[in-house]
Amino acid sequence: MFKNYFLVAYRNLIRHKGFSFLNIAGLALGLTACLLIGLFVHDELQFDKFVPQGDQIYRIYSERTKTETPETLAPVPPMYATTMKQEFPEVEQTTRILMESSVDLLEVGDKKIYVENGLIADSTFFEIFPLDFKYGSAAHALDAPMSMVLAEDVAKSFFGDENPVGKQIKMNKTSFVVKGVLQNNLSKFHLKVNSVIPLSAAQLPKERMKKWGWHQFFTYVKLRPGTDAQQTQAKLRSYVAEKVNPTLPEDDKVTDLSFLQPLHEVHLYSANFKYDSSVKGNITYVKALGFIAAFILLIAGFNFVNLSTAKSMQRAKEVGIRKTIGASREQLMLQFLSETVLLTLVSVVLATVLTALLLPSLNTFTGKTMTFDLLTNPGLLGVLVLLTVVVGLVAGFYPALVLSSFQPVKVLKSAVVTDSVFGRVQWLRHGLIVVQFALSVFLIVCALVVFRQVSYLHNKDLGFNRDQIMFFPMRGDNMNKHYDTFKNELQQVPGVASASIGYGFPGDQVAGDGIIVPTNGEDKEKGVTQLMVDYDYLKTLGLQLVTGRDFSQEMKTDKDQAFIINETAVKELGFGTPDKALGQTLKWKVWNNKNPDSLKIGKVIGVVKDFHYKSLYDKLEPAVLQIFPGAYWKVAVKLKADNIGSSVEGVKQVWAKFSPESPIEYKFLDNNFDQMYKAEDKLKSLLWIFTGIAIFVGCLGLFGLATYAAERRKKEIGIRKVLGASVGSIVSLLSKEFLVLVLIAAVIAFPAAWLAMSRWLQDFAYRIDMPLWAFLAAGLTAAAVAFLTVGYQAVRAATMNPVNNLRAQ
Amino acid sequence: MIKIENLEKIYRTEEVQTKALNNVSLTVNEGEFVAIMGPSGCGKSTLLNILGLLDEPDGGNFSFAGTEVAKAAERRRAELRKKHIGFVFQSFNLIEELTVFENVELPLIYLGVGAAERKEKVAKVLEKMQIMHRRNHFPQQLSGGQQQRVAVARAVVNSPSLILADEPTGNLDSSNGNEVMELLTELNEAGTTIIMVTHSEHDARYAHRVIRLLDGQVVLEHAHV
Repeated sequence: MFKNYFLVAYRNLIRHKGFSFLNIAGLALGLTACLLIGLFVHDELQFDKFVPQGDQIYRIYSERTKTETPETLAPVPPMYATTMKQEFPEVEQTTRILMESSVDLLEVGDKKIYVENGLIADSTFFEIFPLDFKYGSAAHALDAPMSMVLAEDVAKSFFGDENPVGKQIKMNKTSFVVKGVLQNNLSKFHLKVNSVIPLSAAQLPKERMKKWGWHQFFTYVKLRPGTDAQQTQAKLRSYVAEKVNPTLPEDDKVTDLSFLQPLHEVHLYSANFKYDSSVKGNITYVKALGFIAAFILLIAGFNFVNLSTAKSMQRAKEVGIRKTIGASREQLMLQFLSETVLLTLVSVVLATVLTALLLPSLNTFTGKTMTFDLLTNPGLLGVLVLLTVVVGLVAGFYPALVLSSFQPVKVLKSAVVTDSVFGRVQWLRHGLIVVQFALSVFLIVCALVVFRQVSYLHNKDLGFNRDQIMFFPMRGDNMNKHYDTFKNELQQVPGVASASIGYGFPGDQVAGDGIIVPTNGEDKEKGVTQLMVDYDYLKTLGLQLVTGRDFSQEMKTDKDQAFIINETAVKELGFGTPDKALGQTLKWKVWNNKNPDSLKIGKVIGVVKDFHYKSLYDKLEPAVLQIFPGAYWKVAVKLKADNIGSSVEGVKQVWAKFSPESPIEYKFLDNNFDQMYKAEDKLKSLLWIFTGIAIFVGCLGLFGLATYAAERRKKEIGIRKVLGASVGSIVSLLSKEFLVLVLIAAVIAFPAAWLAMSRWLQDFAYRIDMPLWAFLAAGLTAAAVAFLTVGYQAVRAATMNPVNNLRAQ
Repeated sequence: MIKIENLEKIYRTEEVQTKALNNVSLTVNEGEFVAIMGPSGCGKSTLLNILGLLDEPDGGNFSFAGTEVAKAAERRRAELRKKHIGFVFQSFNLIEELTVFENVELPLIYLGVGAAERKEKVAKVLEKMQIMHRRNHFPQQLSGGQQQRVAVARAVVNSPSLILADEPTGNLDSSNGNEVMELLTELNEAGTTIIMVTHSEHDARYAHRVIRLLDGQVVLEHAHV
């Protein structure tokens, strides 16, 4: 029986090549998109799943409630871990990682390499995260203060393939002993690890470790099995309120809210966390992609249903014959279902091949190392089989129902099956087209809005000039000690317009700290961004003064008694207008470990126009600029527009004079900024690609339907032509029906797209207005695509010789 | 074998009601060869469809091989159809994606006959219809006469007790037409009951009995001698 079914299916496939192509190509393409997205989404969801007992592990983070808009901070003060370990019996273990973003100089013999992502962690790190060791073992690896565990790649570049355990390695000139080497299998770990040293090696002052306000540690706790994390969270909050705060001076009381974040959510649910150095995904984008995958599969599936029911006219006679001979309805349904499953199978096989071919590109694009190996992953094979059966059955069910319902008496009598038989499937076909186009229009609108916002992000006037600015961190004692001569020499290089050394350059990290404003005889501390600058900062970045003056070397007091603030600070600090701000007194607790209470007192000497030193996700914050050589860590060099190449060479030569032992690692500031929107750039590209696929697949279906519509109305067209209808009028007759559907689709899609995009834009502090033209463009695009697809068939039908059409009846 | 009494069939469209069959009563005995004649639209095809259990009457009784089937469910009718009735159409109605052999084999598949037995039966009937040499051809590669022989072969392959033929020679030239009529006569002589709708007085002469319909009513019944 099935042999007969497949035989007929196969011959049908071969005989109606064009139709089969449309059907299979559409589905295969849709499935490919789905598989690729599925792989990506699956990969994102796998983060930290390899950690044993990961469901007992939580990261502590806190929310600042003092600020106007709540800020979520990934690092928390050191005392959280200490307290929880000591006071909370349900806490099995804790570990802390010091937040610091420096690049470490590693040395073995003559070999020197700068390595990022060096962790400084509690020695319990490997108890919470039992990572696989290639050499050595996790137990006691961090017990001794000068211990180091290396990532496999780092170990390899120093020691080759030999086991380095027990060997010496220097980190920033301090000697360590290699205690272990990690396996190179951490692609799904939310922490980037190149080396781990114990916290004891950092020799942090004991007093500091007792702070409740020093947000400097990524803190993890492992709860005992069966513990309710919500209760522990509540307990932690009330502990802080009842036991800790009463012991603290008024100014230092903890007002932050602490949270326990499940380990498995760290990767995807921390998009808006500040000072978070973990590998971040974005659940919004993962969900959006999931929806798009579902959309595309839906569109492809609808094609299938549409094309199959449209084609059923040709199968009607066969159904009549089979029924006359004695086939039951069930047998016929089974036959047609096995046909769709067969077609789906072909599509799935094609999609599998396409996916395997395209995966390397996706890997490059996403920076992942996803695999699509059916032999080593039986689960994947299961998914494919399931996909075949489910898509085949779901897509095939309705056509099978329609086909098997034909009455032989009706379908055998007339040579051509008329529309009346199909009357009831008409609305469904139209409904499906509407849904398909609604999804396409929705995607087009989203793609356009995202495109606009992303180019806005890249091109918005940021209030400073970011072009041709070389940017690099200072390195080595010599350079740090002689920063002024270093800067002087940089400025001597022909092609260098100016140079500035400091901490707090746009696109790089900035420090948040308090500033004290004396008001009505009372000192009030406000949170601001502290930009540690020198005398050439404004000039190098091209910042504009609104009023007052720039720092000047001539003025001896500028170093220790002067501040420049931005416009936002004028408002937030309560000065009213820039001019009123001039001359106001500010006080700052100097960054000084030895004397934490020393105050720098100075006057506001200038106000700069607001400029965006952070990404446009963040609202402008009040910023205070001051001369502070204690934080001269980064260098920005403004180059003249021409001969950039030789200017860069010149800068490199100066660098080599001051820090010959290490290579310069420079970036350009505008690249730095563009980096901030990497996720959005990728979203944009992905949206374009998948919108394209969705439209294309939808068009395949529309093309097929138009073909059959033209076929169906051959006689009508013939009669109309005999009666004198022009080609144009017939083309419009055939196209109108589809254009109306597109219109309905647009009406459905617009509000949905508006909602979705408004919500997306909300995340940006600086955003475009919802572009109305995007909606118009999306509607017109869909209409144009539909018209071109249908028009081709319409013109063909309209230019046919009417005599042939009439005779065929 | 077939006994119908006061059979009625009404076609309704939104505005018009047409009585396709009006109080038709008829008996066909086993082994008979009956021709139904009448002008276009007189209801003969409707009658044939009801007799072939493809369509339901709106009123009256219909007993087929001793059982009442006027209101039988589609499942039951399909069952009776595939066991007892063979159909031959004017337009042959072969499935174009299947070869001659596969077309003839189809009823046996639906009856659940085993592969070896199917092969044997199909070969036998194709031999008899002298179309064996064309067994691997597709319908569109055959002449009209050959196609109709295949259709007859398919109708008789499961040895039905009744064959319903709807203008079996309508699309054939006279020599091919005669050939088909000879085939039907042979089958009838071997014991198969045959009911045939035809326009052709010539074809009707092969039948034992002619029933003439006009406007849904039997107007004349006469036997050929």
